[in-house]
Order: sequence, then C-alpha cells, then structure tokens
Amino acid sequence: MMDNSLVATNVRQRPLRTLISVVGVALGVVLIVLVVGLSRGMLKEQGRRNSNVGAEIIFRRPGAVSFTSNFGLSLPIQYAQRLSTIEGIENVSPVGQYLKPSDQGFGAELIDGIEYESYAKVSNIRIVKGKSFSTGNEVIVDPTYVKNRKVKLGDSIELFGKKFTITGIYEPEIGSRIKMNLSLMQSILNAQDRATFVLVKCKTNFTEQNVAAEINQQLPGNQLLFVRDLQELYEKGSSALNTFLSVIIVISIVISTLVIMLAMYTTITERTREIGILKSLGAPKRFIIVTIEKEALLISLLGIVFGYVVALAGRFLITYYTPLFIDIETKWMLVAGLCGIVSGFFGALYPALRAANQDPIKAISYE
Amino acid sequence: MKTILKTVDLKMTYQLGKVSVNALRGINLEVKEGEFVAIMGPSGCGKSTLLHILGAMLKPSSGQVLIDGEDISKMNEAARTEVRRRKIGFVFQKFNLFPTLTTEGNIKLAENIRRNGASKTSAKRDEILKLLNLEKRLHHKPIEMSGGEQQRVAIARALVSSPAIILADEPTGNLDSENSQIVLNMLQKLNQQLGQTIIMITHNSEAAAVAQQTVYMKDGQIVQ
Repeated sequence: MMDNSLVATNVRQRPLRTLISVVGVALGVVLIVLVVGLSRGMLKEQGRRNSNVGAEIIFRRPGAVSFTSNFGLSLPIQYAQRLSTIEGIENVSPVGQYLKPSDQGFGAELIDGIEYESYAKVSNIRIVKGKSFSTGNEVIVDPTYVKNRKVKLGDSIELFGKKFTITGIYEPEIGSRIKMNLSLMQSILNAQDRATFVLVKCKTNFTEQNVAAEINQQLPGNQLLFVRDLQELYEKGSSALNTFLSVIIVISIVISTLVIMLAMYTTITERTREIGILKSLGAPKRFIIVTIEKEALLISLLGIVFGYVVALAGRFLITYYTPLFIDIETKWMLVAGLCGIVSGFFGALYPALRAANQDPIKAISYE
Repeated sequence: MKTILKTVDLKMTYQLGKVSVNALRGINLEVKEGEFVAIMGPSGCGKSTLLHILGAMLKPSSGQVLIDGEDISKMNEAARTEVRRRKIGFVFQKFNLFPTLTTEGNIKLAENIRRNGASKTSAKRDEILKLLNLEKRLHHKPIEMSGGEQQRVAIARALVSSPAIILADEPTGNLDSENSQIVLNMLQKLNQQLGQTIIMITHNSEAAAVAQQTVYMKDGQIVQ
C-alpha cells in the first residue's frame, strides 16, 4: 500500500512548486483546447457558411490539396461561361477569394469577390440595409461583421492597403463576411478574368450527381465538390491543419513534461534526506517511484482541471470580444487531459528513478 | 537465548582515490535476542560503518553478517532493503521524521512500508504510543514538538513493525540532558518490558550505562 498522506502533504507543503507545475500542465491543456478549438471552430463556421451558399456544386481547378487551402485567383473565368451552357445547370457564379491577415491582430479574414447579380441568383443573397457595391472601392458585409467590428453603413475599412466604404449589409450570412466586386478584386490582384471557383446551381429536375457527371464529361480534369459535403470536409480539416494540430499537441506535451520534470527534479533534490528516510524504513524502489509518480499525477490532475477552467474562460472572452469561433469538443478536452497525464507521468519518471536509485547512506546524511 | 545478530570477521574497506581506508578490520560480534548493547568509541573508529552494515544499508567488503539467521553480506540491494524492511528499525541522532507528517502520519507511513495488517498495527501502535507517552502528540507535526518528543516518535516509528533489532545511532546526541534521560529511560523500558533487542552507538558513557553490555571500538576493531 502506498502512502497517500505523504503525497498530499508534499503537494500542500510546497505551494510555489505545486503552483508552477500546475500552471505548466495547464498551459499545455489550454494550448491544445484553445488552438484546436479555434482552428476547428473557424473551419466549422466557415463550412457552415459555405454550405449554406445555395449552390449545389463548386467547380474549381485541380491541384488544391483540400477545399480549405485553395485561396487565390487561378481559375479562368471563361469556365463560368462554359459551365452555363451545360445541360441541367440553372445558374453559375464565379467567386474570387482572398485571405488576408485579420486587422484585429489575430487570425485571418476571407474576402469574397463576387458578381452580385449572378451570385444573388445562385445564393438568394439580398441587401437588407443600404445598397450593393459598385465598381469602386465599396464592400458589403454581414450583420455579424457589423456587430463585432462596431461599424455602420458609410464607414471605411482597409483592404489591400486601400479604404473601402461599407455600402450595404447582406443576408443570409453565407461565404465570407466581406464581399466586394470580383472585377475590382481581379484588378487589384492583377488576375484579370480569373476566379477561385465557380458556384453551380442545378435545375430542380436534375440531380447534382448527373450534372457533375456531365461537367466531368465536358470539362474533364477539374475538381467538383458537392456543397452538401462541405461541412464534413471543413470539419475534417486539411492535412496541413491536422499536422499543425499534431505539432501543437507535441509541443504542449513537451512543455508540460519539462515543467513537471524540472519541478520534480528540484523537489527530489530538496527531499534527498526524506528519500534516505524512506530507504532506511525499508521502502523498496517501487514504493519510492510510485510515491513520486502519484505526486506528479496529482499535480497533473490539478493542472488539467485548472487548464480546462482557463480554456473555457478564454473561449468565453475570445468569442465575446472577437469575431472568432472556438469549438471546444469533448474529444479534444479528453486528448488535452490525456496529454497532461502523459506529461505528468513521463516528467516525473526520471526524477523518480533517480530518487529510487540514491544511495541510502548518502541520502540520509544529506544536509 | 537465540542469537539475533552475529558478525564474523567483518571487514570494510573504502577506496578514496588511490588510498584504501580500512574502516572495519575484522569485527566479530554476537548479540542475543532481547539484549541492549551499546557501542562506544572515538570518532572515526568505524562505529557508523558498522551500524550501516548491521542495518543492511551498506554491503561489507568481506565477512558475514547474520541477522535472525539470514546472511545479508552477500545480498544485493533489493534483498537488503527487504531485510531492512522486515527486521530493522532505525533511530537516528537527527530524528529524521517527515516534517510534513504528524506523529500519526510518520508512524502510519512506516506501517504502510512494512505492510502490516491494519488492525494488528493499530493495536500495536496504540500500545507503543502509550508506552512512549505520545498519545497526546498524535496530531502534532515534528516542528510542534520538542527534541525529546521527536525522538520518541522516531522510536515509536522504529518499533511499530516489531523489528528484530533496533539500531540507534547517537539517539541522545541532539538532546539536552533532561530529554536525553527520558529517551534513554524509554529505550531501557522497551528493552526490559518488550524484550526489544537494541544496539546503540553513543559517545556518551552515561547513555551507554543503560545498556546491558558495552562494546568498545578503536581503529575498526572491537577492543573490549
């Protein structure tokens, strides 16, 4: 039987060491929960907005690894004209997308370049306040943008290093929150007659599979995405994003492990004499290792709980004060908790082994 | 009476760089069950080395150490730890209690390490606490107790698992004369009432006087 009172009193007796260790583990948990939550939350939100766009098919050039990574204007706009002649297609609308760093200093912001008339036919977009943009430096935005940025009609926002005037507010909230004239975007990006993708709306008596097959036959070698699959695609994320999240997890484990290792190593050095006492009482190595591991795991558990609280508070503050979406899933909470436990275990392992292997006479004589 | 401890030509040599130091030069000692033996001698005579070997904390260079019939001189560290756990109780000069634990916590920790049955150890613990007059100090931490009380807790901790031998290393070395006398009286009481075998290292001849037998050491040998 291991002695839990020794574990508990050691945790209480060294409050600063305990606090530092708890914060170290919590940092890893917060890092995982918030970064994963933010990445997946933003993607999910984007997926939700794009899947409500009203079209059934998205047509784009091949080569992009995933939908979420394909920004920039590379698709010749002639494809839109060609698509409109295919049987079963009711309307098409070319869309340009440009990803810019958020002017709030955190994350990125997507801008849609659209031809308002064709886009409205495909998506049922409507202006609920003000008017649509002209060919000048004008944009329309959605109600959430207005609310989060505290802007109103007639205000200016900076895009591409220029001032753009907000001329209208549109609904429903689909695609990017900022929309501008596609021709103007092409001109600014020096990508005349190009778009990022073409939205395809099918006629009611044609299934999207049949239309897609027809498109593939007439315009082979391009990518077709069914809009109904977008939400799932976004939720899966791109392979690059998943790699990034894996790196975040590894970094958080390394940080927490190092913090626990340093804290436990310092503690073991301070408690050399106590290790000697345990050895004089006949405590086997296993007893000493398990006692130290239990202490580290108790600290990890405190760190995990503290990390959850900080992450949830962080999500509340971030979503309240910024337009960002953070989706905290149970699965990722569990992953973060598991990482904390793993960090605690492996962080304490070396100090525990070192303590267990100390010479009993040297340890008990330690001043 | 049964022999509880026996050493045969026990030698210990330390290697300090290129110099060999003979700490023990052939110790032959026999202690019967229930005896109280004091070991005296000047600093550096090998008393502590002998105590560490008898307590299975140190492996001798040669010779035999039989504790309750088991030869610990050839055992590896794990086996010596096991012997220490089952048969040895230490009492140190500096008490060596866990500062974060109460009297009860320190004793229970020793019980847990020695894995005795809970009901048995509880009765045994109560008996020892009463004998050592510690019942009212059960929930006090070492810092809240006098040196004499701390040493009595250390004795209680050593006793609680009914060890074959108690090895006391200068148990009164950190105490004033009044507390020294209390602790010595306690040790004598334990020896006489419970028949506990005690081997005590001391510089103090008054302390040695409570023992039934005194062994004198000099230059790594028993001289008297």
